[in-house]
Amino acid sequence: MINWSSSLSCWKTDKFMKTLGIDIGSLNIKAIVLGDDGILGTGIGPPGDDVEVGARSMLELVTSQAGLNLDSLPLLATGVGAKLFSFAPQRKAITTCLARGIRHLYPSVRLAIDMGAESTTVIKMNERGRLADWANHDKCASGTGLFLQQMAKLMGLPLDEMAGLSLQAKGRASITSTCAVFAESEVISHVHRDPPTPKEDIIAGIYYSVVSRIMSMCKRVGIEKEVVVTGGVALNDGLVSILEEELGFKVLRPKEPQTVAALGAAIIAGENPEKGIRK
Amino acid sequence: MIVAGIDIGSRAAKAVIMEDSAIISSTIGDTGPESVKTAYMTIEAAMNGPGLSLNNIDYIVATGYGRVLVPFAAENISEISCHARGINWYYPSVRTILDMGGQDCKAIRCDAEGHVTNFVMNDKCAGGTGRFLEMIAEVLGTPLSEIGELSLKSVNGITFNTICAVFAKSEAIAYLRHGVARSDILAGLNEAISVRCLNLLKNVSIEKDFTITGGIAKNRGMVTSISEKVGLEPLLAEDPQIIGALGAAIFARERYLGKESKEDGKRQYGYNDGTGDYYITIDLERCDGCGECVSACPEDVFEVVAEDGRQPKARVVEAARKRLSIVCPGYSSCSSRHLINCQSACPSDAISLTW
Repeated sequence: MINWSSSLSCWKTDKFMKTLGIDIGSLNIKAIVLGDDGILGTGIGPPGDDVEVGARSMLELVTSQAGLNLDSLPLLATGVGAKLFSFAPQRKAITTCLARGIRHLYPSVRLAIDMGAESTTVIKMNERGRLADWANHDKCASGTGLFLQQMAKLMGLPLDEMAGLSLQAKGRASITSTCAVFAESEVISHVHRDPPTPKEDIIAGIYYSVVSRIMSMCKRVGIEKEVVVTGGVALNDGLVSILEEELGFKVLRPKEPQTVAALGAAIIAGENPEKGIRK
Repeated sequence: MIVAGIDIGSRAAKAVIMEDSAIISSTIGDTGPESVKTAYMTIEAAMNGPGLSLNNIDYIVATGYGRVLVPFAAENISEISCHARGINWYYPSVRTILDMGGQDCKAIRCDAEGHVTNFVMNDKCAGGTGRFLEMIAEVLGTPLSEIGELSLKSVNGITFNTICAVFAKSEAIAYLRHGVARSDILAGLNEAISVRCLNLLKNVSIEKDFTITGGIAKNRGMVTSISEKVGLEPLLAEDPQIIGALGAAIFARERYLGKESKEDGKRQYGYNDGTGDYYITIDLERCDGCGECVSACPEDVFEVVAEDGRQPKARVVEAARKRLSIVCPGYSSCSSRHLINCQSACPSDAISLTW
């Protein structure tokens, strides 16, 4: 058991404080161990059937890889599944954690687009890096990672191969539906057209339909000079390049775009370490 | 006098043949990949019974998604008008129609003569359409025709947080894995879809009598759930799926007899896609086709077109209608950025926005 008064003072003086952040998404769990001199370890994996078990084992994995003991580290959880993870002593909204993570990586950036599996969020930050405005879309699969996954299954191509092909596209097939189900029929009709629409163009059309959805959210909160993309979909080069075309400039992309919210969670955990320890 | 109506829907093709004012034959088949072939197959199936050929039929009207690709039809008319006219033949007292088709859902208001006075349509999102039910039936491993009966056996319906077909599918799979009864899953989905239909109906305001048409009206579980939500017992036609084709046949008869029809009222363009309602309403009785809205809109949403040689009226460009929430920022955001917009430019106050 932890002695509260002594542990508290020890944190305040210990310059090598380490914290844990976990982002429980709909498709993947992301965890980060953060030390004073940077990230000590990251982990990404599916939650499995039980979020509680999956998240717990992910935390154990990253802490043991960093040679630390899970129970002694302050922890903060975020993401759609955070409330199902009773092990976490504190939780914060995903938007707050994202803003903090981006502030840490890119202090000057004011706009971030988080493209997840089942939701897309555009957040705007003020000069102090705090959340100023946001637009969130999580009501349906249009414009999300799940939409892209569905399309990849339909085209019979792995996601990364699709992204590569789209970069070679000479045109964009018109996909007018943003609904995943109806877009599927449009894609099928492009495939069966005589002559068939080139695969590359169909993929570029699919990406454009996602991007147009994201752009409308960006316009709602107001586009800034610098934009960061995060979330699993940010790994998709093809989609990001179409997004850049629409924005008219290059976007910034962290090395591990999926773990930005988890990073923010770990940073916030360090701000109030006594709250992050399980009693 | 023999007339026919053919309704090429997104999933099913229907045809009705009438002799004077009685239905002599009707048929329902699947819509194939080739619209023209589907049209011929459907009309031939309907003609087989009474032993007719195309030469015996005096006038044919086509309706539905594929209506422009019916080579033997003398005219094509929108399925909205046809549903109103078709149900009027069965039940002249019906004023509110919910048409639940394979890929869309419409709420239609009509008058005592079966003229459309107002309608809203949702063809933007698969939530609550026949496609949605097909996907769910597949996940549950139950034939589509049995899911209605099965949902009525539900004891403890679960709540779905989404009407998105893709999300609902993964939620349903998760519930199945946790051992939830299939009837309870179906009851939960029916509930979610009913709420959505109710919202669509509220957009045109509900008036007695109420009916449901389209293929989904054959799903007893869904009909029960919707009538509970709406609070009205629907007057169901003998075969709700052929109402569109029947309406087309009635139009064919009117045209053959030389009657001109008047189809005015309010037109709503837009959709409800789970994130909210996005509609531009144009009052056709007020609109004089002056074109002020066309030049006022910064996003080129409007056009002025004279349909079938009638007086020119404003309407929303088809490409913009399907992407309305992306193309148009809505009245308040638009007026904060531009000095004029469609609503302020219209001299006769015919345009309104629901955002």
